[in-house]
Amino acid sequence: MLDRTDTSLTSLLRRRRPGYSLEAPFYTSPEIFAADMDAIFERHWLFVAVEPDVPEPGDVMTVDIGRNAVLIVRDDDMQVRAFHNVCRHRGARLVHEEKGTVGNLVCRYHTWTYNLEGSLIHAEHMGEGFDASCHGLKPVHIRSLEGLIFICLADEPPADFDEMAAVMGPYIAPHNIKNAKIAHQHDLIEPGNWKLTMENNRECYHCGANHPELTVPLFAYGFGFAPEDLDETERAQAERYGCLVTDSHDDWERAGIPSRMREHLDDMVTGYRTERLPLDGEGESHTMDTKAACRIPLGAFPSAKMGGLHFWTQPNSWHHFMGDHAVTFSAIPLDAERTLVRTTWLVHKDAVEGVDYDLQNLIDVWMTTNVQDSELVGFCQDGARTAGYEPGPYSPYTEMLVDKFCNWYVQRMRARFDPAPVAAVAA
Amino acid sequence: MDAASPAPTSTGFYEWNPEEDDVLICRAVREETHDVKSFIFAPRSQRRFAFTPGQFLTFEFEIEGEAIHRCYTISSAPSRPDTVSITVKRVPGGPVSNWLHDHFRPGQMLKAAGPMGDFSWTHHPSRTGKYLLISGGSGITPMMSMTRTAYDLAEIRDTIFLHAARSPDDIVFDDEIAVMSRRNRSIRAAHIVEGDSPLQAWPGFRGRISRAAIEAVAPDFREREIFVCGPSPFMAAVRAILKEAGFDMSRHHEESFNFEELAPQEQAAVEEAAAALESEVRSWKIEFAKTKRVVECPETMTILEAARRAGMRLPSSCSKGMCGTCKSKKVSGTVEMHHQGGIRQREVDAGMMLICCSKPRSDVVVER
Ligand SMILES: Cc1cc2nc3c(=O)[nH]c(=O)nc-3n(C[C@H](O)[C@H](O)[C@H](O)COP(=O)(O)OP(=O)(O)OC[C@H]3O[C@@H](n4cnc5c(N)ncnc54)[C@H](O)[C@@H]3O)c2cc1C
Ligand code: FES
Ligand code: FES
Ligand SMILES: [Fe+2]
Repeated sequence: MLDRTDTSLTSLLRRRRPGYSLEAPFYTSPEIFAADMDAIFERHWLFVAVEPDVPEPGDVMTVDIGRNAVLIVRDDDMQVRAFHNVCRHRGARLVHEEKGTVGNLVCRYHTWTYNLEGSLIHAEHMGEGFDASCHGLKPVHIRSLEGLIFICLADEPPADFDEMAAVMGPYIAPHNIKNAKIAHQHDLIEPGNWKLTMENNRECYHCGANHPELTVPLFAYGFGFAPEDLDETERAQAERYGCLVTDSHDDWERAGIPSRMREHLDDMVTGYRTERLPLDGEGESHTMDTKAACRIPLGAFPSAKMGGLHFWTQPNSWHHFMGDHAVTFSAIPLDAERTLVRTTWLVHKDAVEGVDYDLQNLIDVWMTTNVQDSELVGFCQDGARTAGYEPGPYSPYTEMLVDKFCNWYVQRMRARFDPAPVAAVAA
Repeated sequence: MDAASPAPTSTGFYEWNPEEDDVLICRAVREETHDVKSFIFAPRSQRRFAFTPGQFLTFEFEIEGEAIHRCYTISSAPSRPDTVSITVKRVPGGPVSNWLHDHFRPGQMLKAAGPMGDFSWTHHPSRTGKYLLISGGSGITPMMSMTRTAYDLAEIRDTIFLHAARSPDDIVFDDEIAVMSRRNRSIRAAHIVEGDSPLQAWPGFRGRISRAAIEAVAPDFREREIFVCGPSPFMAAVRAILKEAGFDMSRHHEESFNFEELAPQEQAAVEEAAAALESEVRSWKIEFAKTKRVVECPETMTILEAARRAGMRLPSSCSKGMCGTCKSKKVSGTVEMHHQGGIRQREVDAGMMLICCSKPRSDVVVER
């Protein structure tokens, strides 16, 4: 039982025990949720979309982040822009559909009209002295990392995005996301705090027991194991897997495909990790038969067996890029106990459903896995609400990345709310 | 025609001038009797009509590809200057009157010239202030315009309105004349009909126009300025009666609806006006499929403007092809569109258009 009574956010942050899950209020309290939205979601780079979400000029989509409404639009020069989805007249929401196509951006209320660069170009009845140039849409920072769209709501976004992008660009570029199309997109509301969603994503300790489909293409060892727990056969398999990773990395990198692990999950404001991991079986894709789901490869690869390039970002995304398709995941908090997880499956834009790929086969593994994860997240949310909940220890072999996620989170929260200097948590 | 041009009723607004824009838009069609309809017209831009009551307009009709000209007296009063109306009686086998009845709808446009003619009490004031207006059939229209004007302007003229009709059902403007005479006692009205109608026995004068009828209605007719309009035989009969009664024929004025009977100068004026109307700008038909309205649109005008001038209210804001508010589905036809980013090529390819910046190049059907 907790014997502490001070539950102010700063003291909760200061007494966080490294290597342990967070105290219950981090998962249940509406106040801490509001603080998360302020410190994390209004101040960091968030992964919210892919360029194929708005493939052509005039294509627009909306994303709501907590109290903020953002629109993302592609302009006539093919540039992707983001604005606050709020009319500068009387503040009406501007774009209502999740996705659509516009000529200019027109407010339904009094038809104030903005071009795709956000300038106000038409406002009736405003009189002589009205200066339209003072009433353009408010821009939101936006960056495309090889087709992955990140936005940042802060006035001054974290500058180390460029550092991350410089490393990650060459990893993602071969997968040609800009030239992909969305084969399927699925929104799932997980019944848990966004941190539980992220924590669940950062380990595969639970995979063996819960993801019979996912563990067909994925080696469970890829995400760590405790050697003393393995029996003879398992140890042999783990060793074989270790050699496979080293050999694959050598092969892929020799062919010009960056593959080695790079990790800055808790030592950068824009925390991330990447690694290309071999796949089991045929080694081609996250499918039930481990073969490519799509006949047309995403990019120009030396072989179909490109494994899966994993890319994790703090605070809200993870991705798997394969030779034939890619899957991106964006987690967006809805309230203290609910999180929207949007999964997007991408194939080459020339691929035709039913001809070059079977949609069911393409999405099967992750559709199934997502539902399983959602349920597990719900279990933890239920637990966090009870008097019996107490932070438990992470496995040092399989849950290091969960711990790093929490380290990053606590640091970022303390940077915002704790006036005392924050000691960097060592990676 | 008298050289001294009449002073039109002033409205203090820009006047409709057929030399600037000769197109009138039909705003409404009203059924008056089983074979008489009134057509109410407005100018395309904000203008007001100035004319003297009793004058007529010359219209151009395009019927089956042919341009036909006809004259119609303005039946409305200049005291309501935003619109003009004409009231048309069917003529058996007549190409124009029947086309108007059967095909002409609100939203459609006509070219018109005028006003012209000097058949008006404005030009022939009565020394005694007393008038007798005698009409037969569709000849009621100039009388109606004069009487409506007197009523609107609350003039105290001693006006006797004598109208001859075939049956009680054929009396045009029956109710309105009754209302005007009830509320302005200087207007008195009497009708003379040839016989009962199926549902109505006529309690008033019967038969054809006669000296007895005129004397009964206006015993002091000799003191009056008399205006007559109607079919030729009818006008001839009135003329004969008045001459025989020793009436001073300088105070008798008549208007014939028979073009060939107009004075030569008047015929020349009509023909000149008709020549000026000969269309040079093509017009196309714009059909609004949902509201079931048809609007005539010159190829130089945007579809939105033509619809607006025909009294339709369609969503629009910038009128410049920016905001997309007027975006509409084009079911058929060709347009020339000059937009400013309010629509995507993909949308155009999918059959959409911005009607605020699209001009017709053929007949067009719009899903609105
Ligand atoms: C000054 C004037 C005012 C009129 N006012 C009214 C009115 O208020 N209400 C009403 O119902 N009718 C009025 N008319 C009659 C009207 O113009 C038409 O004659 C009538 O509608 C029948 O036309 P139609 O084409 O249907 O028949 P038709 O019998 O085919 O046409 C009428 C005859 O007029 C001849 N004509 C030639 N040029 C003209 C011309 N420019 N205008 C008129 N007729 C011409 C035609 O050759 C034809 O013989 C008026 C006519 C004139 C001249
Ligand atoms: S609120 Fe957007 S135009 Fe008025
Ligand atoms: S009214 Fe703005 S585009 Fe037509
Ligand atoms: Fe999982």
